[in-house]
Amino acid sequence: MSLLEVRELHVWFDLQEGRELHAVQGVSFGLDAGERFGLVGESGCGKTTTILGLMGLLPPTASVAGEVLVGGESILAGGESSVRSHRWNDIAMIFQGAMNALNPVKKVLWQIVEPMELHGIADGTQARRMAGDLLEMVGIPASAGERYPHEFSGGMRQRAAIAMALACQPKILLADEPTTALDVMVQAQILELLVGLSNDLGLALVLVTHDLPVVAQVCERAAVMYAGEIVEEGPTEALYHAPRHPYTRLLFAATPDLYGDEAVVSIPGAPPRLDRAIEGCAFRPRCDSSLDRCESEHPEFRAMGAGHRAACHLNDLPGEERAAREGARRAGSAAPAATPGGGAP
Amino acid sequence: MSGLEEIGLEPRASAPAALLEVEDLKTHYPVRRGVTERLMRRPRRLVHAVDGISFSLARGEMVALVGESGCGKTTTAQTILRMVDPTSGAIRLNGTDTTRLSQRRLRPLRRRLQMIYQDPYESLDPRFRVRQTIEEPMLVHGIGGSRKERHDRTLEALERVELSPAELYVDRYPHELSGGQRQRVAIATSLVLDPDLLLADEPVSMLDVSVRAGVLSLLDGLRRDGNMGILMITHDLSTAAHFADRIAVMYLGRIVEHGPAKEVVRDPRHPYTRALLSVVPKRDPRDRSSPQILKGETPNPIDVPSGCRFHPRCPIAEERCTREDPRLRRPPATGDGHEVACLLA
Repeated sequence: MSLLEVRELHVWFDLQEGRELHAVQGVSFGLDAGERFGLVGESGCGKTTTILGLMGLLPPTASVAGEVLVGGESILAGGESSVRSHRWNDIAMIFQGAMNALNPVKKVLWQIVEPMELHGIADGTQARRMAGDLLEMVGIPASAGERYPHEFSGGMRQRAAIAMALACQPKILLADEPTTALDVMVQAQILELLVGLSNDLGLALVLVTHDLPVVAQVCERAAVMYAGEIVEEGPTEALYHAPRHPYTRLLFAATPDLYGDEAVVSIPGAPPRLDRAIEGCAFRPRCDSSLDRCESEHPEFRAMGAGHRAACHLNDLPGEERAAREGARRAGSAAPAATPGGGAP
Repeated sequence: MSGLEEIGLEPRASAPAALLEVEDLKTHYPVRRGVTERLMRRPRRLVHAVDGISFSLARGEMVALVGESGCGKTTTAQTILRMVDPTSGAIRLNGTDTTRLSQRRLRPLRRRLQMIYQDPYESLDPRFRVRQTIEEPMLVHGIGGSRKERHDRTLEALERVELSPAELYVDRYPHELSGGQRQRVAIATSLVLDPDLLLADEPVSMLDVSVRAGVLSLLDGLRRDGNMGILMITHDLSTAAHFADRIAVMYLGRIVEHGPAKEVVRDPRHPYTRALLSVVPKRDPRDRSSPQILKGETPNPIDVPSGCRFHPRCPIAEERCTREDPRLRRPPATGDGHEVACLLA
């Protein structure tokens, strides 16, 4: 049994006039202790909504369906009171831009002590000692806890935010774009820290990011999201070397590599709106190798080999035919792919 | 029609081919002193934001200025635009020194220098239709003649940034455009002025991965076909390696390495460049070479370290590095135009 298991998670947001936005459309994944899992995709694909859903932190306009199991126990079923006993204690989160969300008028140490006291982990001197240890663990001298956030650099504030998330000794850490606003060198330091924590503490890490190379370097497995769904999931090596969904392949092709010589090509068009039902495959309008049936039939999420799953009709074709189709389209698609926006609304 | 004639300056007779020449440019900001410091008569301290840099840029060329935040990239661009005044040194545009020109005489030159900002969600006025946004600079500079002519120029600019058919976009508001489309509108806004030099400050870092390549290819095309020079400021070395002709790496107000893009990336000679390149995450999960993570963060540019300013973080620094300030020079066995400021290179 996995440490964290997400089964068929759906999230809808109420819009005006009774309309709904189906932001997360049946997302399932699981991970074990010490495992690092990446959740990647463009903005608006539902990555952040998914993990806020896991934490039970969505606003009241959202309705959630599906199951989230932590150590086999369903945490969403009992509503707020049941999530509350797990939130931060079992499953913690580093919010996007958390380093800018520290309380500016409180000393850093206090901000780590507070959740410990609120959750009854420790209090008084003991809590302060534990908070100091946490700071040391994330690479900040404990004495620096007596300083205010504005006295910290961006990298140190992000370390402090990680220490805060770890205050109640969670088993699962959800990190939403933890390095996005940081410089490359500081990004490398923070990623090294997160990898170290997952190795040393057996922390299960879910890394949410739009940055494929970061996931490739940090995570063993990853899921690619598009329009609220996971379209491909598998070992990061398989996603890069043998992708089974055109979106995964095109995302990698749109990402420049330091030493790569091949042209970087953007994906034409934009993701679909999620406030209306999508017929067929959601990626079809931007796909470079779609089939006729993609227009009407929604592709099923199916196993492609050990731990590798994808939702694409192309996988029903024999291997050579699929490769030929993707290759031919790729060679011929240079011109339309260069027209950006592609008349997208 | 060049901006020089408009302000009554003749280009130098022996005008070199370079569109932009920056020579030993320094921009220092005074640090505001508090009451105590004033009473104690402590000396005014300076932020050495840009501390003696030289480079040139030809028409049709793209130069990338890379480095971590605080290294002086943005101040360099602002000084070139004369948004801030340089402390010393020279900036020559088409051979004319602009460092001492009055604001009034600068204005016609500003047309020749256009800036593209990082965030197209902030840089466009949300209450302006695309048409108004693009016409505004023409009104400011008194060009474009009649309303009809301005309209034609607007449509032409939109087509040039590949927002076509242009009629579809002119009456839209920014909120009706995607991030990539917004950045294209921002680029069109500078194109109507027919600039010689574009300064692009992190032009794609706020955009989705899938559309970045499109905007970068657009800039690439503009400098190739439009005979424009582009100075791109970025912290993303992969992007610089792919799109720029030359890369200049900045550290603490200085250029520490400078050369043809491919050569700097494949054969870096400065230990800072080497470290910076080693921490760029690679797309291929199998390619997990161990990054060389520098400790700490860039020192603040008020108290610049003695000797080589990189020596406190340098993995190979020797005793003399703490005393001697290295000049940019061509190390042995490197290609043309490759220069490094390191005593040990």
